[in-house]
Amino acid sequence: MIFESHSGLLRRLLRGLLSVIIVVAALFPIFWGLMTSLKPTRDIVQFPPSLLPATVTFEHYVTIFKAGAFGFLLNSLLVSAGTVVICLGIGALAAYGLARFEFPGKRAVMVAIIAVMSIPVASLLIPTYTLIAEIGLVNTHIGLILVYSAYQLPIVIWILAAYYQSLPIELEWSAMMDGYSRLQALWKVVLPLSRPGLIAAGLFVVVFAWNDFVVAVTLLSSEETRTLPIGIYNFLGFYGREWGPLLAASMVSTIPLLVVFVILQRYFMAGMTNGSVKG
Amino acid sequence: MIQDSGASIAFRGIGKRYGETVALADLDLTIQPGEFVSLLGPSGSGKTTTLNILAGLISADNGSIMIGDTDVTHLSPDRRGIAMVFQNYALYPHMTIAENLAFPLQARGHDLSKQAIAAKVKDVAETLGIGHLLARYPKEISGGQQQRVALGRAMVRDPKVFLLDEPLSNLDARLRLKMRRDLKALHQRLRSTIVYVTHDQSEAMSLSDRIAIYQGGRLQQFGAPADIYRKPVNAFVANFMGEREMNNLSGTVVQVGDGLVFRSDGLNLALPAPLNDWARFQGRAVTLGIRPQGVKIGERTDAVQCEAVLRQVEHAGTEQFYYAQAGGIELSGAAAADAVLAIEDRVRLSLLTRELYLFDTASGAALVQGGDLAA
Repeated sequence: MIFESHSGLLRRLLRGLLSVIIVVAALFPIFWGLMTSLKPTRDIVQFPPSLLPATVTFEHYVTIFKAGAFGFLLNSLLVSAGTVVICLGIGALAAYGLARFEFPGKRAVMVAIIAVMSIPVASLLIPTYTLIAEIGLVNTHIGLILVYSAYQLPIVIWILAAYYQSLPIELEWSAMMDGYSRLQALWKVVLPLSRPGLIAAGLFVVVFAWNDFVVAVTLLSSEETRTLPIGIYNFLGFYGREWGPLLAASMVSTIPLLVVFVILQRYFMAGMTNGSVKG
Repeated sequence: MIQDSGASIAFRGIGKRYGETVALADLDLTIQPGEFVSLLGPSGSGKTTTLNILAGLISADNGSIMIGDTDVTHLSPDRRGIAMVFQNYALYPHMTIAENLAFPLQARGHDLSKQAIAAKVKDVAETLGIGHLLARYPKEISGGQQQRVALGRAMVRDPKVFLLDEPLSNLDARLRLKMRRDLKALHQRLRSTIVYVTHDQSEAMSLSDRIAIYQGGRLQQFGAPADIYRKPVNAFVANFMGEREMNNLSGTVVQVGDGLVFRSDGLNLALPAPLNDWARFQGRAVTLGIRPQGVKIGERTDAVQCEAVLRQVEHAGTEQFYYAQAGGIELSGAAAADAVLAIEDRVRLSLLTRELYLFDTASGAALVQGGDLAA
């Protein structure tokens, strides 16, 4: 007994220690970046370096916003929001079809969705560029949103289909008996109950759309359409080794996503586990 | 609410198969307006398939269904004018009880004002004694209360047909009896047509005007509870109805001297003169059936007699059940609660003639029902 609780305590300690190491390793660069972005230029390169800024300044943030970071931020917001709306809109319906109907070729569609998920984005760049160029949507937000949606729909459909299957089918039947069509039942009963699944799927999409660099840099060419990651890349060329503005831009790009995750994380966990257990 | 507001239901040659499995075979069934009909049978017998086809939740492979004068075979569930209570109640977890009850009234085609809906919801909630729960969510109320809410949601738009899928099976025994009475009272007041699925024969017996009993995807018999109990068409129905199985003795009828004898495993039962017309069953494998209530201790007139040894006795409140060995056969019987029964006693058993059933062993078809030859 004593031995058991002793080893149990030890295990908990080890697990806690491991968690701390992972958290520090993950968050320290962000913290270091945030601190550095608040230091005056001459303090950034001083030796030995100090962790906390001696004097706090927002000059680097002013610099990047003057250089057009606000536009990039808006572009990123627009593209991310558009992608989420399209992915969840199409994904919610497609997943419902797969979760609740039997039709010829259903298995083939499911397998195809998995297969598509495993294709690396890099190998899709040239074909999608050609396609988007063909229909005249290069250097437009619509084009970028469509490409992002195409890349992200498989995972969205997969998560939502698994989530729907975890709901009792009698709820939809009940709604249909109560005088609602199938689509109304989906809208009034299934979707409100699938909120954790929708949020989990939505977060996947947002993370991809917000962080993507490769696709955006391929499809977008003008200053006006640029999203944040490309904007930051251009700061790198423009300011050379000027760490202040560079890190300020990184923070502007990182922090919104962190905030979204912190707010929605409990739904995210529920959405992921629910889908995986029952699906 | 007092007038006869139910609709008739007619199944015409309804069939459903899943691959090779026949879930429902050529069902013909007509239910009268305002009738309370139970679909009774073991799981996988086709009763729930019948209900789901009637509801429009699954489609039949062939045949047609009429509700009232309307052919609903190809109508979606929302257009059939029926309400359903599911076994798990299927209350909407994200809505309050009031919102659950109002939900059917907010569907298209009702055009009710907010006040009218609220009044209707309140009315139904009062009727079912759940008026104080309106602001709560389904997970905050007890199983019995959830059951009432599910009933209320079905009642709220005065449907012509109610479908109930084992609505009482998730309640404890006492509450089930109370809800059974409440359901019966509700039906007497509403006079809607009710189709009730259950695997509990006593529930079906106590609630129904008529019972449709199923086995293996086929309707076996459709009739009033007393008729089905008394005149089962086959061995399956005979054994399914009643709290306990019948005694089933397989054997043959043979002529011995002047009289007839039923010969079973190590047991010869002399058949009394009134059963002389059983001579026609000679040379055929038959099964003699009798409910425990028809097996009495002691000499009785109009009975088949045999010697037996008591092996086991069970007290069941108002009566006792015993198991007795006669030849190679075990017979179960019922005795009054105050009868003195001792294990290993030798007793004389009387199998009352009017309680005897005879079935064709191969097909199970009834040859004799309660002492009378089957039609």
